[in-house]
Amino acid sequence: MEQLSNGLTLFFSLLVEAIPFLLIGVTFSSLLLFFVDERTLIKLLPKGPLMGALAGSLMGVFFPVCECGNVPVARRLIVQGAPASVAVGFLLAAPTINPVVFWATWVAFRDQPEIVFLRVIFTLIIAVTIAWVFSRQKDLRPILQNAVVRQMPQVQKKEQVNPLLRSGTYLLQTDGAAIQLDDPAAVLAQKPDQPLATKLQLVVDNMIQELKELGAVLVLGSAIAAFVQVAIPRDWILALGQNFITSIIAMMVLAAVVSICSTVDSFFALSFASTFTTGSQLAFLVFGPMIDLKNIGLLMTLFKPRAIFYIFILGAQMCFILTLFMNLYVS
Amino acid sequence: MSARRNRKPRKKKTPKRSPQKPWFNQQWLDVAVLAAWSLTLFRYWITGKLFLLLHPDYMWLANGAAMVLLAMALFKLIKTIKGQRRVQPAPGHTTLLPPQISSLILLAVAVLGLIYTPRAFASDTAIQRGVSDTLTMTRSQPQRFVRQTSSDERTIIDWIRTLNVYPEPDAYTGQNVKVSGFVIHPDTWPEDYLMVSRFVLTCCAADAYPVGLPVQLAVSRQAYNPDSWLDIEGKMVTATIDGQRQLTIEPTKIETIPEPRNPYEY
Repeated sequence: MEQLSNGLTLFFSLLVEAIPFLLIGVTFSSLLLFFVDERTLIKLLPKGPLMGALAGSLMGVFFPVCECGNVPVARRLIVQGAPASVAVGFLLAAPTINPVVFWATWVAFRDQPEIVFLRVIFTLIIAVTIAWVFSRQKDLRPILQNAVVRQMPQVQKKEQVNPLLRSGTYLLQTDGAAIQLDDPAAVLAQKPDQPLATKLQLVVDNMIQELKELGAVLVLGSAIAAFVQVAIPRDWILALGQNFITSIIAMMVLAAVVSICSTVDSFFALSFASTFTTGSQLAFLVFGPMIDLKNIGLLMTLFKPRAIFYIFILGAQMCFILTLFMNLYVS
Repeated sequence: MSARRNRKPRKKKTPKRSPQKPWFNQQWLDVAVLAAWSLTLFRYWITGKLFLLLHPDYMWLANGAAMVLLAMALFKLIKTIKGQRRVQPAPGHTTLLPPQISSLILLAVAVLGLIYTPRAFASDTAIQRGVSDTLTMTRSQPQRFVRQTSSDERTIIDWIRTLNVYPEPDAYTGQNVKVSGFVIHPDTWPEDYLMVSRFVLTCCAADAYPVGLPVQLAVSRQAYNPDSWLDIEGKMVTATIDGQRQLTIEPTKIETIPEPRNPYEY
């Protein structure tokens, strides 16, 4: 009974702390969806492999989206002709390197500021490296899903079929190109025509929808965190969590499975703060926003499995090595 | 017959909403989810139970969320009453769970939050979280060392922080002490010692960690039940408890107090 009461208190404390941040997160992501035009942004960004990767990775500062909102944005970026370095950098870094997430991490780990800053630094290192690797792929089409390729601006040999001959709802543009209306990427294009009031209503609608979806995952994640804290014997957790290597692996697996939104994942990690190594908490905070179960589902709408596999392997290895270094030499 | 049977379990999960038109039902469900969460947050705010869950610095966030959620619930309510359908399904965000399930989980948890009253952690948790192993350790590195506070104004966490900086117990011998906290009976300690303890929060109850100071009693500790709250005045001495030299309170006055509204220290 005592255990249950403690568990529930923990559970609600996590939720009550996380919900405001979730609200802020969905507000930004919904505003972005309806008010920002990526095309203008792409024109401003550097195109070089390394600078592009860096610029893409830092774009999250202006696009505070969590890992559920970044895939649609990255998809729009690619469709509108952003280079691979920018898109992949954004995809991997934006959920972590943005003001809302930084603030939430700060709130959670005020006592260990190194976690807050290293989270940003490690994410930046990993994202820029992977984005750089991907920039070797000059033509992204072979690793993209066909549906995305079809929306890309330059229609080449393979795509000679007039878009209007395919199924779907299309809007014919003045330049002869067609935009698929039943597709998220295209929806943005028609937004500017709507009056502000309608747009704001759409924003609130979108907020509610995201809040429900992400909130449910948050509830499940908080339940797991609370359960682990009260129900699993402390000796076991300490044995797993105090080892330099197993703690990192355990937290990375947890990050991938729990799929908690990056805006609120620091509160989840916080409940492991006293039992797990600092490196492993960082591993959770760095790896979770890049790759998790929910995210893989989203990435599948953009990349072919091969590309996701590369991102996953590269990201996991680098995250492991960096946080192991942290465990061995820093803390 | 079989169709009705199929529908029944679904009906049970969605209290009071009639599932005639699916979109209508979903709209009302959204209103219910938003309103229930707003109410839960307002309830914790008004009853002061938020103190048991959060660090006071972040309460305004939860309070703000309560208001925003209420506004969103009203927005959705007005829209639903007007019978307006969503202009367009918003694209983009997909998660592991289908929307209906998400809404139901959220509604169920919000209702649970309305019924359940959080309780402060007690001595069991303190022992389970290792209050005795980490007696002179705090998780955080001390940020400041306030020497000028007079010793009887220090709270338990202030004492522990001071000890972190300068751990020799003899240095504090004879200093006045006045602290309050709840009682723990550590198993390995002799019968005439108890620990007066507090949980410390950095962010929320999830990271609460216990700190405590030993109290040397003239009588058996059975006089003070675990989890009861005490206000203790006395002088600091050094005692060897369980093979360790520890800074210990020699009380001159012990008073039983009710559990404070805000049981944590920060």
